[in-house]
Amino acid sequence: MYAMTRSVQAQRSGHVGAKAADLLSVKVLGPLLLATLAGLPIGAALWAVGAQMLDAAAWQALWADPQIGRAWGMTLWTGLASTALAWLTVAHVLASGFIRQQLGRWLSRLPALLATPHAAMAIGLVLWLSPSGWALRLVSPGLTGFDAPPPWFTTQDPSGLGLILSLWLKEVPFLLWVAATQMQREDLRRRWQAEYALAQTLGRTPAQAFAQIIWPQLAPRLRWPLLAVLAYGLTVVDMALIIGPATPPTLAVLAWQWLSDADPLTQSQGVAAAGWLTGTVLVGGVLMVVALKAFAAMRKFASRGSLPQSQATDRVGLLQQKTLKWVLHFCRRLPLQPNVMWTTILTTYAAVWFALTVGSVSGVWPFPNVWPELWTLNAWQQVASSAHTVWTTLGLGVASASVCLLWSVAWLELAPRRWQQALQPWFLLPLVLPSVLWVVGLYSLALHTRLEGQWLGLSLAHAVMVLPYVLLALVPAYQAVDPRQAALVASLGHGRWVYLWRVKWPLLQRAIASAWAVGFAVSVAQYLPTLYVGAGRFATVTTEAVALAAGAQRSLMSAYAALQMLLPIAAFALAAWLGRPRRFEKIAPMKATL
Amino acid sequence: MNDGLHVHIERLGSARQALVSGLRLAVPPGEILTLMGPSGCGKSSVLASIAGTLASVSEGLQPLQLQGSVQLNGRELSHLPTHQRGVGLVFQDALLFPHMTVAENLLFAVPVGDAKGTRSTNAQRQARVQQALQEAELSGMGERDPSTLSGGQRARVALMRALLAEPQALLLDEPFSKLDAALRAQLRPWVFAHVRERRIPVVLVTHDEQDVADPQRVVHLRATEESPSHV
Repeated sequence: MYAMTRSVQAQRSGHVGAKAADLLSVKVLGPLLLATLAGLPIGAALWAVGAQMLDAAAWQALWADPQIGRAWGMTLWTGLASTALAWLTVAHVLASGFIRQQLGRWLSRLPALLATPHAAMAIGLVLWLSPSGWALRLVSPGLTGFDAPPPWFTTQDPSGLGLILSLWLKEVPFLLWVAATQMQREDLRRRWQAEYALAQTLGRTPAQAFAQIIWPQLAPRLRWPLLAVLAYGLTVVDMALIIGPATPPTLAVLAWQWLSDADPLTQSQGVAAAGWLTGTVLVGGVLMVVALKAFAAMRKFASRGSLPQSQATDRVGLLQQKTLKWVLHFCRRLPLQPNVMWTTILTTYAAVWFALTVGSVSGVWPFPNVWPELWTLNAWQQVASSAHTVWTTLGLGVASASVCLLWSVAWLELAPRRWQQALQPWFLLPLVLPSVLWVVGLYSLALHTRLEGQWLGLSLAHAVMVLPYVLLALVPAYQAVDPRQAALVASLGHGRWVYLWRVKWPLLQRAIASAWAVGFAVSVAQYLPTLYVGAGRFATVTTEAVALAAGAQRSLMSAYAALQMLLPIAAFALAAWLGRPRRFEKIAPMKATL
Repeated sequence: MNDGLHVHIERLGSARQALVSGLRLAVPPGEILTLMGPSGCGKSSVLASIAGTLASVSEGLQPLQLQGSVQLNGRELSHLPTHQRGVGLVFQDALLFPHMTVAENLLFAVPVGDAKGTRSTNAQRQARVQQALQEAELSGMGERDPSTLSGGQRARVALMRALLAEPQALLLDEPFSKLDAALRAQLRPWVFAHVRERRIPVVLVTHDEQDVADPQRVVHLRATEESPSHV
């Protein structure tokens, strides 16, 4: 009997051994291959740019440049101010929306806001705010007495307010979208609603319950996106070119100007500036993570009801909590509706879309007139005659979004959770490091592989920039998948593919479709990589719009900016249609029999 | 002698600590064994070892591993993937697929071919779904969105779905715990009658004495000293 058991066991372990080899190939080699595929270009680009940064002459030239100090100061001011404003706004919108149970309805408008590219937003604001813009036209000459545009710096203002405004308008929807991917996860949604209700039964007001229970759990989940927002604010180029200060510009714009210079020393000075900018982002990021650790301490405080170990973190936590309370308090005191922030943002977006639309069909439009004297489709005809620009944009967007989606799904299916957690920061790097840094790295990578100025190289460069967004869009949905569902499907006798095709992927359909649309929108909005890795050979609606922003062709600029917005909106509409929930036959509810 | 479900767990646990050890279960066809114990004692992990779904319960924790054997009608299961074991599962949440109608949920479980390899036609499979709906007292509700069903209706659909897959053994993981007392009292005899009718071994996990199907077949699991329930 004993011997028989042994032999059965031996047989079994032999079998297991053979299987283990099979499993090893799929379970380890698959994710390993995928990790290399995505991680290698990122690493190689960083390596290439790092090597170029070890140039003492470049750094000396950078320090000797008379503009560097003020440019850096402007970078810090615009980046920090817009991030802080965006953070407070998001806290307020989420709190007031959650408390009033309207968050879901509000957030359903997000895709349109997300789809508006940074450059289009900046151009739309310029159409409103510039000295010859709509805002002044509406009150001229009646209130102002102006017959000609005044010599004001209302855009490209030396204090960077226009840039801060447009960054704020763009970053709030992004942060809200990431918050929504968390708050609309079925598991979290239910738990948070229950905890929120529970806190109120313990005597908290709705605002306190949100501030003490929901926000401390949500805030740490927004760590990466907030870091991305900070990095974006500190390093944005296209937006700063259009609406940012010019004398001096922000450091990112300076770096970009130097990089595009013909002189090699100036170019390497640009690389050094990109490096300095990266250092700024990293230091800013570390400071922010420290601040967010305090949120975690606060969460402990809230959930366990006992004091956290460290008094210091406790104090920071309380400070954060107080800040939020203060925001809520402040907003309640305003003689306005609690949704004033959200309404303001929506209205501004609507105004920007309207300005772009009208601008694109405007002909002659002398200054104080509110409406153009002549309406014309000239600009759109010009766009149509250079249709290859649109096709390039579409092609790059579809290719990079699709590649990134396929990769992300494969990665999330195959990679063990620990790998994903360990490697995620690496994959998200393009989100947090300056794009002026990436273009240098990606360009030298493209040079080495002879892909510079090639369609393939450009679409891969886009893919590197798109991947973090697609991954970020998919991960929460994957985390929310109930592992028992896989067990259940298997217990019904179905294999893994049936589970994936008929249960898991259909249930993730909405998240998958919107991740693709986000990826497409990110690709459409790419400015630096398109110019730099494309070696100037590829024009997209974004490069055209930004290039035209410096000139005087208002209608053509508006048309490209409108198009830059319409393409992603179309993608989001397509995603919404593909990801629509199934409509069941409406049947009159029956009395439950059991 | 080999008929039924024979489980011998020498050791079930993570590399560092054992959750269950030295457990033997034998369930003849048509009998219902009740597995009881406090939460955290490893009841659900025992079911997962039988179904081969340990990977999904150990999510986020230390991976659990089984040393021992699971035999069903003389067939060793422990090296087989779940979908080849012929072991059905019913959880406390009905886990109906939300993107399918009630009838589609049931159809999903109906095998396309039988053991002899003869394929059933669509009409035959649909007929089995209709019959199952009838048995669940849900005739005419096949086209409904599962989220519009009551808790008791969902539980019955979940059981019918598991049975339609023609499992050779069935595991019920606290199938009544989300229902109120009155509903449980109604549902229990219905479930027991249906599973006994199939002449397959059934393991029921519960912590409610009233759920015991057969007082002759009850196994109590005790929490091990260092079990995670104390953490």
